[in-house]
Amino acid sequence: MTEPVAAVEIDGVTKRFDDVVAVDNVDLAIDDGEFFALLGPSGCGKTTTLRMIAGLDLPTTGSLRIFGEEVGMAPPDRRPVNTVFQAYALFPHMTVRQNIEFGLRMRRVKDPELSQRVAEAIAMVRLAGMEERRPDQLSGGQQQRVALARALVNQPKVLLLDEPLGALDLKLRQEMQQELKALQRTVGITFVFVTHDQEEALAMSERIGVMSEGRLLQVGTPREIYERPASRFVADFIGRTNLLEATVDSSGAVRLSSGARIEAETSVPAGSEVAVSLRPERTRLQPRGTASADGHSLDGEVRDITYLGHAVVYEVAVGSMSVEVRSEGEVGQPFAAGDAVTVSWDRGAATVVAD
Amino acid sequence: MQPARRPRAGTGSSGEAAAAQAKRRQGMLLASPGALYLLIFFVVPLALISVYSFATRTSTGRTSLSGWNVESYEAIGDDIILGIIGRSAWLATLTTALCLAVGYPFAYYLATRPRHVRAILLVLVMIPFWTNGLVRVFAIRFLLGSNGPASALSESLGFGTFRILFTPTAVTIGMVYSFLTLMVLPLYVALERMDWSLTEAARDLYAGGSKAFWKVTLPLTKSGIVAGSVLVFVPSFGSYVVPDILGGAKTLLIGSYIARQFRDARNWPLGAALSVLLIAAMLIAVALNQRSGSGAEGGDRRRARRRGRAADEAEPVTAAV
Repeated sequence: MTEPVAAVEIDGVTKRFDDVVAVDNVDLAIDDGEFFALLGPSGCGKTTTLRMIAGLDLPTTGSLRIFGEEVGMAPPDRRPVNTVFQAYALFPHMTVRQNIEFGLRMRRVKDPELSQRVAEAIAMVRLAGMEERRPDQLSGGQQQRVALARALVNQPKVLLLDEPLGALDLKLRQEMQQELKALQRTVGITFVFVTHDQEEALAMSERIGVMSEGRLLQVGTPREIYERPASRFVADFIGRTNLLEATVDSSGAVRLSSGARIEAETSVPAGSEVAVSLRPERTRLQPRGTASADGHSLDGEVRDITYLGHAVVYEVAVGSMSVEVRSEGEVGQPFAAGDAVTVSWDRGAATVVAD
Repeated sequence: MQPARRPRAGTGSSGEAAAAQAKRRQGMLLASPGALYLLIFFVVPLALISVYSFATRTSTGRTSLSGWNVESYEAIGDDIILGIIGRSAWLATLTTALCLAVGYPFAYYLATRPRHVRAILLVLVMIPFWTNGLVRVFAIRFLLGSNGPASALSESLGFGTFRILFTPTAVTIGMVYSFLTLMVLPLYVALERMDWSLTEAARDLYAGGSKAFWKVTLPLTKSGIVAGSVLVFVPSFGSYVVPDILGGAKTLLIGSYIARQFRDARNWPLGAALSVLLIAAMLIAVALNQRSGSGAEGGDRRRARRRGRAADEAEPVTAAV
């Protein structure tokens, strides 16, 4: 039994532009057939990482393999990958068909294979009848599908997508999320996509790599990333959270700076400075005194209420800290500003982040 | 409510019309000094030249406006004159081609520098352009002369004296030098506007560096190539100073020949007829350029309009997906 080869293997890759470190010593393995998201704020190095896989930027140091083959220094035209560019980069002087044919023609694929593959690609992205149009005669969603077809027609081993949905409006973006997922299942190849939109990353990918300031901070399934963030940055960047400063106690619990003691699983040694991440939607509000003090609650006072229709957001003062509580499906107006309340949560909802 | 709204909309649109009319009047007022200037110093002399081209040259070399004829135009059919026109056209074509060959890589280099470097390089490009043309041509004459540095270099390398001045080669060198900026600037503009992610896309789709250039960069900078070529071809076809100073008598071109008709030969009708012909040829060239240029732009606009419609039509389609 041999170990399955990773689709993309990035080994100690660093990219420097003059004296700016865009990507800092990144190690990452992306599995065959995986839908992988590189997520982070702008300037975090995710796009540079993608460009290095494509060959549009070359790593300063480190090695990069695609299905076991070292390609770190290979030019883009010698790599078995294709890219869907951020603004699609469709050739404006060519028709839809000519755009899609481009890669095959460069590799001297001849008819009848050429026309057959182009027809299949056009059918796959549902662009039949649009073949003779030019890119500027298409809507944003159609342009995006041409970009997909133009890349996929080459049957790359890995498809790279740079903010593929960034240029679309919200409604179309949600539809395209589903379409992209379905497409990836159909073609069965590895998709690596870059996004700054955490919801998009959570909704679409099998695994996410979170980047910040050139570093890869955490790699995991959407659930792992959301529920077990490894750092303050990840906890804060993915969804909304309350980050409460605390110190690890000798008994494996943590003591908040206000002095309150709460239970939370941690492997960090006693005495360490940590933060407790508490998601607003995992917390509940109860009148003070009705919840048992079991280490999964904090006493406070309602300071502000924001009504959102489908949810109500409470800002609760707990000592000198402020805790956001998000309540859905509430009937009536159970709390008012100034009420003495207890914020409580289920065992396991509070996560300790050490870094 | 509805009926009350309509008359207001009516007054609104007539108000708009009045505003548009005022704007037109203001525009005419602003344009009138320039228009007047062009009328006096461009249209009137042009009309005079046209009139002279149908006049007669008397035996004493004076121009007689009595007795209109097309003899001067018939004289253009002369082999010598046709030869001069042919040589001028060939030299203009050669100049344009060389300017393109030299200018494109140069403009490419310029356009791909970082923004602050670009600004400095552009000024450097413009300096010769701002320098008196005559001075520049005399500088070339000195450079290429048998006592000049080029000759000295050639001699020191053992190739003997450099005899290039007063040959068509010298004229070509001078013309390329004089008109290169006119080629570089439109090419620079086209290349600077180039979306480089398109060449990256070509590289990503298995095109090597040169393939990506020929298939993507070059076609997308066509507007710059056409504009630059017209800007170089038109003045080099009628060029008079450069061939006169660098070409000597051996390289007689249409521009110099026309000048001679007005000065030494005292044949104003022939000079005028040749001028009219030259102007007509250039107008045709410019019109063709305009048509291809604005044709493309018009196409863009048409496409943009269609795109708007296409996007509207596409909504239900994508919604259905």
